[in-house]
Amino acid sequence: MRMFFRILNVCVVVSLIVAAAYVYEIKFESTLRAERVAKMRADIRRERDAIAALRAEWATLDNPARLQGLARRHLSLRPAEVTQYDTLDRLPERPPVIVQPPPVDAIAAIISSPDFTPMTGSVASQTERR
Amino acid sequence: MSAMDTDATTVPAAPAAARAEPWRRRVLRTLLYGDVDRDAKARARVGLAILAFGAVYAIIAARLVMFAVAPESHFTRRGVARDAVATARPDILDRDGLILATDVRAPSLFAEPRKIIDVDEATELLTAVLPDLDATELRDRLGSRRGFVWLKREITPKQRQEIHRLGLPGVGFLAENKRVYPNSAEVSHLIGHVNIDNQGIAGMEKWVDGHGLQALHLAGLATDRLQKPIELAVDLRVQHALRDELIFAATKYKVKAAAGLVSDVNTGEIVAMVSLPDYDPNSPKQANDPQRINRLTTGVFELGSTFKALTIAMALDAGKITLNSAFDARVPLRYGRFSIHDYHAQRRVLSVPEIFTYSSNIGTARIALAMGVEHHKWFLRKMGQLDRLRTELPESAEPLVPKRWGELNTVTIAFGHGLSVAPLQAVEGINALVNGGLLIPPTFLKRTREDALKLAKQVIKPETSQKMRYLMRLNAEKGSARKADVEGYYVGGKTGTSEKVVNGRYSKTKVLNTFTAILPADKPRYQVMIMLDEPQALPETHGFTTSGWNAVPTAGRVIARIAPMLGIAPRFDLPVADQLILAKVRP
Repeated sequence: MRMFFRILNVCVVVSLIVAAAYVYEIKFESTLRAERVAKMRADIRRERDAIAALRAEWATLDNPARLQGLARRHLSLRPAEVTQYDTLDRLPERPPVIVQPPPVDAIAAIISSPDFTPMTGSVASQTERR
Repeated sequence: MSAMDTDATTVPAAPAAARAEPWRRRVLRTLLYGDVDRDAKARARVGLAILAFGAVYAIIAARLVMFAVAPESHFTRRGVARDAVATARPDILDRDGLILATDVRAPSLFAEPRKIIDVDEATELLTAVLPDLDATELRDRLGSRRGFVWLKREITPKQRQEIHRLGLPGVGFLAENKRVYPNSAEVSHLIGHVNIDNQGIAGMEKWVDGHGLQALHLAGLATDRLQKPIELAVDLRVQHALRDELIFAATKYKVKAAAGLVSDVNTGEIVAMVSLPDYDPNSPKQANDPQRINRLTTGVFELGSTFKALTIAMALDAGKITLNSAFDARVPLRYGRFSIHDYHAQRRVLSVPEIFTYSSNIGTARIALAMGVEHHKWFLRKMGQLDRLRTELPESAEPLVPKRWGELNTVTIAFGHGLSVAPLQAVEGINALVNGGLLIPPTFLKRTREDALKLAKQVIKPETSQKMRYLMRLNAEKGSARKADVEGYYVGGKTGTSEKVVNGRYSKTKVLNTFTAILPADKPRYQVMIMLDEPQALPETHGFTTSGWNAVPTAGRVIARIAPMLGIAPRFDLPVADQLILAKVRP
């Protein structure tokens, strides 16, 4: 009986230490994660603010009055006339593809013909000398 | 279990030990503790200790549970308090999703006067960085015993950096939402503006506040920028084109004010609305200038001949007249001591289309008289011309209706004098005349055709509407609206030139010109309304100041620019109004 209590005591002490260590571990982990969450939240908020600022800037740059001023100054474009609009189905048929005949090279034709033997005037061939 | 061992051995020896105690000590002990059983006492003490420790641990456990249930509540509350100064507002977009108003973060400078050590030093350093701060006022604020004072709202990041470097105790920054309008004056009257606390005080911004944002802010929830954006009916590109052409017209004809409106006749949406002079919502101080009011909703005007369309529609709808009826316009109409003249006097009997295209005052007055005062009043009320028109915009004006409405009033109101309405109201009425007879309350928010039909009220017969389209188109082919007949878009319209009242009399030189165009006239989709206040005669207009010489060409330029944006395909070689529109009416 006494032996049993002693073993139980040791077990309880050991489990207490293990539990304490485990709780500490969890606590540490959770603090770490909570910090990461908080940091990410702050990051997200900052990013969103940055996106909002960029969108506002984009909208300012994209303002039609500004674009019109720039276009008038730098481009030679004019507003489209009413006659320049048309619907797609009124487009004429696509023109037929014109196939170009292959270019005729007279010299190449002679060279590639089967009954062509090269003849040069300067040096007579060996066979002719015999 | 060593304690048990010793107990077992010492218990029999205890009386002996007690006896062995010297007598002096025994006396002392009895005096101190009394003669009680020490074992029982020890057990009671241990029990008490167990109870006390148990209580402490129970409290700790309970507290732990409480922390676990409400995690981080402390931190989040502090985080909110740091940002929630100015309400975050939802973005406002145009009908294609372009940004009209959005929030950006801007730092604001505050102080906690109780923590400030040297007020004079702080004042000196701060005014060096922010020269526009008033030194005396700043010193007063810093010297007060309050816990928190604003020093300057919305400073630049550079200023923030410099103040941060000063290292003053008791001075800090809060990030606040600042409203920005990237298109500056482009949509000013329509969108309105906000005050320094980001609360809407005019235009659609105020409407946003009235619809839930205020409650959200009070509940402390409006700090998130992920609120659903608000989509307006306005098209930024159309708005720009309209404003650009109005500015051009305003300088050309040297007008006092100009206004324009583009409205979808089938849904009542306001696609563009400009009233010049306008203001930049980013610097809302200008908005207090009475010259810069929104003339289309807050001003009321006698709209002149535009009202003839309503008069003729009334008579056609009642079946009292047909398009072939003829009215005597040979001599000016005498009524009491007044006589009604025609501007383009024809001095003959005119048919109804002729009355419309020659804009005959005599003819319309006779038509209205034939209908009677009560019917005239009833019809105008039905068309929404006699009651205040309420839209999403907080600003609205009550029409000026004569208190005693006699026959003379009917005569003048028939051609648009003696009754002042907000131009937006007239637009609503004209929309109903040409869209098949449906009176649809105008809106600045995006609306579908189905929603519009739910709100619509049939005020005139579809056949009457068809006849009105014919008359409007005829006016662009033969009448005063010829200069607005942009080729390809089949424009129809009605001009209006009304003499302004100067010192209680109608002036001959100061006029208010309007032009109402519909396009395309055979099946209208949009109405374009142009209003010019006191245009001047030019050599180019041959000295005329009537609507046909200034408002109409302006509308023509506007239509040529906006029709492609609104998705109206140009059509050429269309038959004249008699064949295209009138043929559908006549059996």
